[in-house]
This record gives sequence, structure tokens and C-alpha cells, in this order.
Amino acid sequence: MIHVRRLTKIYQHCDESEHVALGGISFDVMPGQVFGLLGPNGAGKTTALRILSTVLKPTSGVALINGFDVVRQPEQIRRQIGFVSLNTAIYDRMTAWEMVYLFGRLNGISSESLHVRMDDLFERFQMNDFRQVLGGRMSTGMKQKVSIARALVHDPPVLIFDEAAAGLDILAAREVFRTIELLRDQGKCIIYSSHIMSEVRRLCDEVAIMNRGKILLQAPLAELLAGAKGRDLEDIFFDLIAESEEAAIAGVER
Amino acid sequence: MNWTNVFLLLSRELRDQLRDRRTLFTVVVLPLLLYPLMGISMLQITQFFREHPTKVWVVGHENLSGSPPFLQAGRIASDWLDSSQARLLEVQLADRSGDEFQRLVGEFKRDNAGEVSQALVNAYIQQELKRRDSDLAVLVPKPLDFQPNAEQGGATSTPAAYLFLNTSSDRSRVAAERFLSAANNWKNAVRDESLREANLSPRLVEPFVLRSMDIADGQGRRAAAWSRILPMLLMIWSLTGAFYPAVDLCAGEKERGTLETLLSCPASRSEIAIGKLLTVMIFSFATCLLNFMSLGITSFFVIAGNPAKGGFGPLGGMELPPTQSLIWLLVATVPIAALFSALSLAAAAFARSSKEGQYYLVPLIMICLPLMAIPMFPATRLELGTSLIPVTGLMLLLRCLIEGQVSQVLQYCGPVFLVTVAGCWLAVRWVVIQFNSETVLFRASERFSLRNWLTRAFLQRQELPSVGQALLCAVTILVVKFFAGFAISMPTSFSGFALQTVIILFATVFMPALLMAMFLTKRPDWALKVKSCRPAWIAAAVLIGISLNPLFTWLSGLVLTIYPMNDSVQQLQSIMATVMSGAPGLVAIVVVLAVLPAAFEELAFRGFILSGMQRMKSSLGAVIASSFFFALAHAVFQQSVLAFVAGLIFGVIAWRTQSILPCIACHAMHNSMSILLGELKVGGWGAFQWLVYESERGVTAYRIAPALLLTMLGVTLLYWLFQQTSAEPVGEPSERDAGPSLSPRLATPAGSSR
Repeated sequence: MIHVRRLTKIYQHCDESEHVALGGISFDVMPGQVFGLLGPNGAGKTTALRILSTVLKPTSGVALINGFDVVRQPEQIRRQIGFVSLNTAIYDRMTAWEMVYLFGRLNGISSESLHVRMDDLFERFQMNDFRQVLGGRMSTGMKQKVSIARALVHDPPVLIFDEAAAGLDILAAREVFRTIELLRDQGKCIIYSSHIMSEVRRLCDEVAIMNRGKILLQAPLAELLAGAKGRDLEDIFFDLIAESEEAAIAGVER
Repeated sequence: MNWTNVFLLLSRELRDQLRDRRTLFTVVVLPLLLYPLMGISMLQITQFFREHPTKVWVVGHENLSGSPPFLQAGRIASDWLDSSQARLLEVQLADRSGDEFQRLVGEFKRDNAGEVSQALVNAYIQQELKRRDSDLAVLVPKPLDFQPNAEQGGATSTPAAYLFLNTSSDRSRVAAERFLSAANNWKNAVRDESLREANLSPRLVEPFVLRSMDIADGQGRRAAAWSRILPMLLMIWSLTGAFYPAVDLCAGEKERGTLETLLSCPASRSEIAIGKLLTVMIFSFATCLLNFMSLGITSFFVIAGNPAKGGFGPLGGMELPPTQSLIWLLVATVPIAALFSALSLAAAAFARSSKEGQYYLVPLIMICLPLMAIPMFPATRLELGTSLIPVTGLMLLLRCLIEGQVSQVLQYCGPVFLVTVAGCWLAVRWVVIQFNSETVLFRASERFSLRNWLTRAFLQRQELPSVGQALLCAVTILVVKFFAGFAISMPTSFSGFALQTVIILFATVFMPALLMAMFLTKRPDWALKVKSCRPAWIAAAVLIGISLNPLFTWLSGLVLTIYPMNDSVQQLQSIMATVMSGAPGLVAIVVVLAVLPAAFEELAFRGFILSGMQRMKSSLGAVIASSFFFALAHAVFQQSVLAFVAGLIFGVIAWRTQSILPCIACHAMHNSMSILLGELKVGGWGAFQWLVYESERGVTAYRIAPALLLTMLGVTLLYWLFQQTSAEPVGEPSERDAGPSLSPRLATPAGSSR
């Protein structure tokens, strides 16, 4: 499971100004649950997920994944997670097969088991047509499929998807969603970050709406919609963001 | 360290680079094509390599017509210059028209050239040379041959001829060389003939001839010639072969977003760094090898294969290097490739984009070039001191290998190897730090805003200086100190020396730190660490200064053994000793040489600079960085080494006590000890004979047992101080921790905004 408490991240710029990317967020994600992080660009979603994937270090706060601390035990954490992001690109000069194989081996899977696992993944994501195609010659959808296969190859208990379906065509996106649903049913602990409401509505059990580094609202999706008096998720999202922006502007003016 | 991961990453990086056309072109194709193309070009331009004719304008040629005559039929006689050279030196005889010319000759005839304006003569002759398209002017105001009758008649001065050459013109210098060669031959003939006429032997003026004989065998000569060229070439090949793959593997990966993918996988940062280092090393080695092969094959055909066409300009007279040298060269390529790969990777890991990475190549070459140039000096030898200098040691080792000086190689290959391994290790550590650095990894497009920086620096000041402000202070001190060094005159009295020392230290070291603390921070007293502390800590610091002196004395001896002082420094020391002898008393020397420098330097380096550096995550890193700048501020290299070690101790004290007072006390006592020991030496040690004695080399040395006890005491006190105090958290100190300010003036600077 994922356990996050008062996680903050402050970036120091080269002109010595500071930017608060995360202002003390807290949430928990249980096994078999898809937790949605919903927010506009710059809300702090990617920063939070980068901290969970140990690529960034938090300024303060605690983040535990399956009991391992992201600051003190980053290498153990990396074995527990599969991280797919728009920023985790694939190598232009490696084929799909080579790429997934490399990350499988780096995760400590033996060559024999890896071949079986990869055959299954390539079959499931319909990647056999381009298994020998170099990354630089792949379409966006192909690249995203390779990224997901790379994240799933070691069968991690925790999966972090940051805009995982961005740039995919409708068929490929549907395949990604089906995979995430399947993984949830298998008991994986999943964080899914997006700013597309339909994706969140389809996949997530619980959502946190973020803006300016803070969680504005966090609730199980079903409860949220039930108490929304007829408003849908999009209305709730826009109202919250508008409110947060107004408060921020008022704060600056004061 | 999981070596399976390292080899997995190595094979990935190798495959990746081998599929990159740009890398393949730079590393493989270019070396293979470059030298044959250069060979072809050289053959093409060989036809332009010929000796060009030059012209000499002779004024007063009638004075050259004695016996034997220098000129015959308007040319230099064949006795004085061989016919091929004579053909290349056309003689123009002066016409005697023109008032200016007549006046000039007249002035020179009086043998009174000092009265003539040299600038006028030069201008006139330059104008004449240009008008005549001539390269050299020769003025002969008087007959040059020996005339016994004239000598007996009272003319005593030796007649002179004047050569007016333009040293900025190659043609003029060549013409002068040709003319002088002929004139010297003629002069010797005139001398010999005059001696014979006087019935004297020519041996009267030249009793013997010295002839040097080269005993080097062919292989040795060839090895010596190549030993100066090949190491330099190898370094350049290695650096270029390493740099482009390094930039692609670090900065390129950041740009393409694949580094984040890699960093989120279970391979550790060290495994990733070593995998990349090994890849870069392989490419660097391959570049060297391919360049070497291509150059070798091309040279073979150009030098050895076409002897009949010899004289290929700059390669004329060059022979192929001996086989033994070539084998050693290949062996030495491995550590060279390792060192340059590590350096390139360290530079590339710091870059946020490929474009930024390319910018670092020139500074890297500029840093390496002086280190590569040191071995080119004839006086430089492979010894302990030079073997410990990165790059230089490797180059000297390689030179010795090529020259076949095996005993020297065996003696010093250990230190060179250690320095190389240390360089590689440091580079890998640096790369790991960069891979953990968010500013380097994720903000490639961030722009530096000077306006924002200035706004924050002056209007939104913080209580402590930032890392950037600390760096600015350190660089300012170094630059100001460098230029102030030129204004220093050699002191003649102690009072002059004292005044100069105090002014220079105050202006170049203390003032930059004080001004920056006052104008860039809210609390100058905190920035300079001007805080009270427990008296016990000051007492401990004083004792540390005393008790670690044996360690520094030993270290000083070691440094001076490895890098002896040169004559100029020794002369300076003897002048200083004379100046010091004029001091009014020991207290004055201690104040000027120990206490004041300690106070000024500590306030700057452990005060402002360390306070700023401590904003970095690692306090130990801050101590090392401040010590590095403290060492650089010392002009003499040997002093810098000691200053670095001393700076580490003062830095740790400042870090743990957060007060400058114990640092000043320790530093002042450290400085005072050498003065006090000098005084004791003059007095014959007195009651301290159990502690110190004069060594065989005439320097003060500690007796082993008390020195060990003192050192142990110093280390224990340092440990006690470390344990007693707790380091302040990085960032802004709280009011509670600040303690009372010692300097109200510093705490509330006039005119500073709050």
C-alpha cells in the first residue's frame, strides 16, 4: 500500500527564488484500489508521482510504499513499483523487445522467465508487430505501449501511471484502461494521474483533486458523485479549481 | 554493487552508441578517413614547400671589395655561400643618389650612430626596403677588410657593418641568416689571411674546435622524437573519443527523457554511472586505437613508403617510431582513456542538455592543456611530485615508456596509477551526485533571471548568504587578491611590511566578505558567524592549534620533499627573514603574521563563505568547498596544500560551534606556532629540548614521542569539540540559537534595510 503524509516539495530556482510544488499533501492507497490524482497542469501531480518513484526527494513529509521509505530506501521502492509517465521516454535506438528485456533483467528476472513473461505482455498489448522496431521509428501509441510493458514486466505490486493514456488512439487507450482494470482486479495498488475526467471516472475508486500543490478534495468517487446534487465530476472539478484560483489571487492581492 | 546490472547497462549503452551515426562518424569513420585525407593533402601541398629567394640591399658595397672580395659580379662570391644559397640571395647595390641616403651614410661613416634618431633611420630604411621590394638592408660605412697600414696610422676602432632586418617578417629573417652565414665565412677568411700575412697561425685566435657527437642509436633518436608528440596526440584522441559519447549518454539522455526511465529502475546510481563510464572508456580507447592505426598506416606510406619524395615539409627528417614504443603506447592508452572518460562523463553529467554539454568541452580542454603542456618542458622529469599531478603524471609516464626508461616507470607507476584511479572514483561520485541532483536533472529550460536574482539579493535579503553569494565572495577575494599581488612592493622595513600586510588582507580578504554580509544579508553578524560561544570551546581550539602543530610540521616536510621550493621563493624567504629581524618584538610579529591574518581570513572563509556553502545539503561538502577556496587564496602551491588541510580543521570547528571565535583562536595559534618555534630555535630551544630539535636539513623537527602525544591530544580535542556541539540545521538559524551578537555595529549596519 501507499502511505503519504504531509508531503512537501519546494523547488529552489537558479535565481534563488522558490516555488512550492507540493504543499503538504496526504493520502493512502490500498491494494486493489485505483487512486486518481486529478488536477490541471502545474497542480503538483507529476512532482508527487516523481517523489513516489524516488526520482525526486521531498523537502519534508513521509511517503511509504509497502513499508519502504522513499528517502531512505529508494532501491527497495524501485523494485516495488512500475512507473509510467509522459517523461519516462523509451530509447530511440533500442527495439521494443530489447527495451522491455533490459528493464526485466534490471529488475532481477532470469532470462528464461523473462521470455515467457514478455511473450505474454507482447501478446496482450498487441506489440508483436513492432517488437523489432527501433523506438525512434515508433508512433506515440507504440511508445506508450512499450512504456507500460516496461513498467509491468517485473509484475510490481504498485503501479504509478502519470497521464498514461495521453497521445494514444482510442483503441490503444481502451487497451490501457482494460489493463489497469485487470491489474486492479489482481490486487495491485495503482495511482492514476490525469486531467481527463472520463478516464478518472472510468478507472478510479477514489480521487484527489489537486491545484497549486494542495489537495482540494479527496473522496471515494462514488460518494463524491452521490453527494454532488446532480453535478458531474467535471463540474465539481471546475468549481473547486476556480475557487482555489480566486483564493490564491486574493491572497496575493492582500 | 550489482555487476550484472553494470554489464547489462554497459551492453545497452554500447549497442545504443553503435547505432548512433554521429558517434560512429566521430569515433570510427573520422579517424579512418582523416589521416589518409591529410596525407593526400600533404602530398598535394608539398610542391609549395620550397625555399623562396630573398633580396638584400647593400649600401656601401665598395667597402666589401677588399681582398679576398665579398662580392663578385654583383653577387656574393661562391667561396662564401654555396651556389644554391647564393642564387636565393639576390644582392641589390645601392645607388648613391638622394640627399637622405647621403646624410644617413655620412652619419654612420662618422661611426656616431647614437646621435642619429633610430626611429628616423628605421622609418627611412623600411620605406626604402618597401620601395625596392627588398628584405634586408646592409650598411657598410667603412672598408671591412684588415688594412695594416691604416691600423698603424692610428685608426684603432674595429669597423662595423649594420644589418637592418625586420624580425616580424620571416623573409627578412631568412635573408639575414643567409647573409650572416656568407659574411661569417668571409670574415674568417679575411682574419686567417691577415694572420698569415703577419706570419701568425690562425690557431692564435681559434686554439681549438669543439665538435659534439650524438651517441644515441637510431631507435633512441626516433623514440625521443616521438615521445614528445605521441603523448599529446593520445590525450587529444582520448578526450575527443570520450567526450561525444559522454555528452550523449548523460546530457542527451536527460534531453530525450530516458534518464528518468533509467533512474526509476532498480539499478543504483553508482551502477548506472559505472556502466556509462565503461562505455565511454571503450569508445575513448577505440578512438585512440583507430586514430593511431590510421595515422600509423598513413605515416608509413608518407614517411617510409616514399623516401624518394622525402622532405615533406614539417615531416621532413621524421622516421617511424620504434615498435617497442608503439606497444607501450597501447598499454598506456587504457589509463589515459579511463581518466579522460571520467573527466568527460563528470562534465557531461553536469550538463542539462547536449548543447550545454558541448559548451563544457572547451573549458575541459583549457584545464587539461596546461597539464598536458608541463611534460613538454625539457626540464620536467617523472618524479614523485610530477607523478602526483593528474594528466601530467600520465603523460610523463608515457614519455618514459616510449623512451624505454623502464626503471623510472616502475618507480613511479604506482603514484600515477593511484592518482588515475582516484580521479575516476571522484568522477563516478560526481556523476552519482549529478544523477541525484534535481536541478541538473529536471529543469533544462530554466532561465536565469538577473533581475529576480538582484531583487532577491538586495530587497528580499535572507538572514544567511546563499551558495551563489558565497561563491561570488570567494571568487571576488581570489580575483582582487590576484590583482593586488601586482601592487605589492618588496618591503624594506618591518613597519612597511606590517602596514602592507594589514592593508592587503583587510582590503582583499575581509572587505569583500564584510560588504557582502552587510548588503546581501539581513544579519551580517550571523553571516560572518560573529557569535559568542563557550569559553571552553575557545580554549579547546587554542589547544588544537598548538597540539596539531607537529602534524603540520611533518606534513610541511612531506610537501616540501615532494615539491621543493624553487629559488625565487627561497630568495623571498631570506628577504622576509631580514625584514623580520627588524621587528620591534615578538608580539609585533605574532600580531602581524598570526593574529590579524587569522581574524581576517576566518571571517571571510569560515564566516561568510562557509555560512553560504552550508546552505548546500552537505555540511561536510561545505567545509571542503570553503577549504578549497581558502587554499586557492594562498599564492604558493606548497602553502595551498597545507592551507587546505588547515582549512578543513577550522571548517569543522566553525561548522560544529557555529562561531568564528574558536576558529580565529585555532588559526592564530596555528600561525603563531611556527613563529614561536623559530624564536625558540634562535635561543637554542631552552627548556623545550625534550620537544623539538634542529634536523639535519637545518629545519625544526619534533621528537617522535611528544609529537605523537600532542597529535593524539589534538585529535581527541577535535573529537570532543565535535561531540560537544551540535551542528545547526541547514537554512535559517532561529533567534533562539543565535546568541548575543558580539558586534552591535555588524548586527545593525547603517543604511541596511530590514
